Amino acid sequence: MKNALGREIPKTIGSRSVEAYAGAFAKQRSGFKAPQPQKSSVPGENKVLPSLEAAIEATGLKDGMTISFHHSFREGDRVINQVVDACARMGLKDLRLFPTALFGTHAKLVDHIKSGVVSRIEGSMNGPVGAFISQGGKLREPATLRSHGGRWRAIESGDVAIDVAFIAASQADAYGNANGINGRTPCGPITFCMVDAQYARKTVVVTNELAPYPAYPLEIQQGWVDYIVVVDEVGDPEQIASGTLEMTKSPARLRIARLAADAVVASPYFKDGLSFQGGAGGVSLAATMYLAEAMEKAKIVGGFVMGGGTRIMVEMLHKGLVRTILDGQAFDPIAVASLGVDPAHVIMNPGLYANYDSRGCATYMLDAAFLGATEVDLDFNVNVNTHSDGRLLHGIGGHQDVAAGAKMTVITAPSIRGRLPVILDRVTTVTTPGEVIDVIVTERGLAVNPKRGDLKECFLEAGLPVRDIAELKAEADGLVRPLGKPVFGDEVVAAIEWRDGTVIDVVRKVEGWQ
Amino acid sequence: MPKEIVAGSDAKGDCCVTVTSGKALAVAVATDDPNLFERGIREVVDETLAALAPQGRVKATVSVADKGALDYVLAARVEAAVRLAFPEIPAIASKVRRRPSAKDAPRRSRLYAPGNSPRILVGIELHGADCVLVDLEDSVPPAEKPAARVLVKHLLCAIDFPNEVWVRINPLALGGADDVREVLLARPHGVALPKAESKEDVIALSVELAKAERESGTPVGSTWIMPILETGKGVLHAEEISCADPRVVVVAFGAEDYTRDVGARRTPEALLFARSMIVAAAKAAGVQASDTVYANVDDEAGLAAEAKLARDLGFDGKGSIHPAQVPALHAAFTPSEKEMDEARKIVAAAEEAEARGIGAIAIGGKMIDRPVLERARRALRLSDRLSRKESR
Repeated sequence: MKNALGREIPKTIGSRSVEAYAGAFAKQRSGFKAPQPQKSSVPGENKVLPSLEAAIEATGLKDGMTISFHHSFREGDRVINQVVDACARMGLKDLRLFPTALFGTHAKLVDHIKSGVVSRIEGSMNGPVGAFISQGGKLREPATLRSHGGRWRAIESGDVAIDVAFIAASQADAYGNANGINGRTPCGPITFCMVDAQYARKTVVVTNELAPYPAYPLEIQQGWVDYIVVVDEVGDPEQIASGTLEMTKSPARLRIARLAADAVVASPYFKDGLSFQGGAGGVSLAATMYLAEAMEKAKIVGGFVMGGGTRIMVEMLHKGLVRTILDGQAFDPIAVASLGVDPAHVIMNPGLYANYDSRGCATYMLDAAFLGATEVDLDFNVNVNTHSDGRLLHGIGGHQDVAAGAKMTVITAPSIRGRLPVILDRVTTVTTPGEVIDVIVTERGLAVNPKRGDLKECFLEAGLPVRDIAELKAEADGLVRPLGKPVFGDEVVAAIEWRDGTVIDVVRKVEGWQ
Repeated sequence: MPKEIVAGSDAKGDCCVTVTSGKALAVAVATDDPNLFERGIREVVDETLAALAPQGRVKATVSVADKGALDYVLAARVEAAVRLAFPEIPAIASKVRRRPSAKDAPRRSRLYAPGNSPRILVGIELHGADCVLVDLEDSVPPAEKPAARVLVKHLLCAIDFPNEVWVRINPLALGGADDVREVLLARPHGVALPKAESKEDVIALSVELAKAERESGTPVGSTWIMPILETGKGVLHAEEISCADPRVVVVAFGAEDYTRDVGARRTPEALLFARSMIVAAAKAAGVQASDTVYANVDDEAGLAAEAKLARDLGFDGKGSIHPAQVPALHAAFTPSEKEMDEARKIVAAAEEAEARGIGAIAIGGKMIDRPVLERARRALRLSDRLSRKESR
């Protein structure tokens, strides 16, 4: 069947039946969430177990079950590998992994997939695992990729049932209260796993620092936690800020950042109370910095800035350029440190951030947002999941959630990367539909979604280089010969879910080239 | 031919082309992702080889190791390597359409870019500089110069520069004549002559340009000259250099070499004589003056201060070594709203006086001298040119 974007979607993917994407806000639900587990307790219970093996044993984890993790330590995470290694040692097979994201540091999962310990993955697969899967590495079922908000919704609605949640925490008490803010190796908020803790059949907190009761802030709460395990290392905070978080020095990228910031300045949203999403990536960081400069110059005080918390956002808060930071995950050590001490630097969980089936999303309060893209197309659709050769390389992150919510979503992308054109007739995979994208900024100028004639007028008045998207494409295409094109087979490698649980696109296996 | 010739590098955005002697033509392509890129790269390489040697004179193996080079970079590297291996093969000349400019076009910024670095050259036209100045002199190591001039030619052929594009050549005796012959095939707006020291230097270049113009079918006299004065001798001869040839439309100052040459430290005071000399000479010849580059990219305040000083002294523009400096230069050398208002008033008063047949011009009882009127007219002309440029 074809979905609303004309993408061919199978009726079933693995064991799930598919509902086709019908529009960014087409699907509306009301009713009740899936039930949460309930268990009474009595005073004096001991929850601390001596080892991961002991905890795995105690949870009753069996072959074929689902285990979940958060990614707040990013490249520095040590918990996913430790837990899956322990499962392997205990002879467990056929596990389904449900992480909030995977990173390069989890490359050894490939061995566990090959040996059958892990047979399914539900979740964003950055880097080596994604590459392995799309180059013929076999999972028992196709992966499902969800946005941060979409993952939360899938748990609450019962689409994904978690058997055991393993939650890395830089500090916890012996009763199960846990956080990522304090301790020797803080990683920033760990609230991505709040919903896991509440819905999983069993919840295990894995920490390297046991604190006196109560450990606070109360990100993960005792009432949701069955067991606590103390290990030597949960993660390396030094590796949270990986390469993508460095400010760009490339003149072309700085120009993109400058134009993106200029677009916000020229928009009707540039006034007191301005709220925006900064995000990671060299261009987004630079755009945030330029916007901060413009706000300072115009004496504008922003309402809130949303992230991925970064050093630049913390500086804006200290300078009084914004009133609040809403922070779902920390992207560098300065953001981590600020979370513990500044009451205006507020921890945000993904449900609050962007749960489609909830009575409100923080992303809907955004005026402007800077987001990246691997590919864009003439209909303003964006792909952040697959490389142009068809390989599955990245998760969705908050891309869909922010684009759907912000009044003005600005995609920043070079028109060409090396020999790879970024603007295509049709993106390889749709992550986020053009319906919710307002502006695409390249080093050659800005393309405005035709439905935003109002913004186009503002940009023209401000003297910004507004261009037709087809013109930008033609200009970049003139610099390189056409690419080889992957020929996709029928086999589905992964489903890309829209925030509401419908399928916006699928990633198919590459069978050849033309 | 020598056993092996190499052009290009393994830097990002470049490619490395190696020509090794052989009995017949063979092409090998290495790239990160052959499925995506190999066919396109082969097309470019084959077409370039066909253009270079239609009769299949190239008997060699041409190996291309790609690092994300655009088509024109690939073509340039292939041409450079093949011509180094087979010096008898003539240069590729393709049709170029260059946007026309004017002798007194605004040149508030001249943005330097090293001529052998695709990573920096790609997109150099996008930063709004009034002149892009692609360099074949100091920023290109001697061994890379032959490949660099071919790359600059291909860049200029491939890119439709929205404003002016110039090439800084080497001194004529040090390869500058070869630079001229190669790059004129791509019709730059002008050529910058470094270390110009006398009118003979300029005339010699003018002669070379005329020869190259005839060979490439470009109208003779259409290529402008920007002498760069960067020695004591050059500064002292500013007057004769500025009016040496009608091709000269702007005279530039190079402070780094000048301070080294005369043994000065780089302070505003130490440069004042040279700057004033160049401005006076250029204006006497009816051409523009452009100040030296500001080398510290991170010091925005320093750049703004030096640009203001140059503007105060009478310069029309200034050099920049990084695209990020361009907006500050444009801010410094664009007449302010206040200046424009005043200029409009003065010109209006002059027109009114003329209409009434009155010789003296006055605004509110204050007499306006001829030079003030001329300056006002110049400001209006510049503003007019800028607004027409921006509306493009």
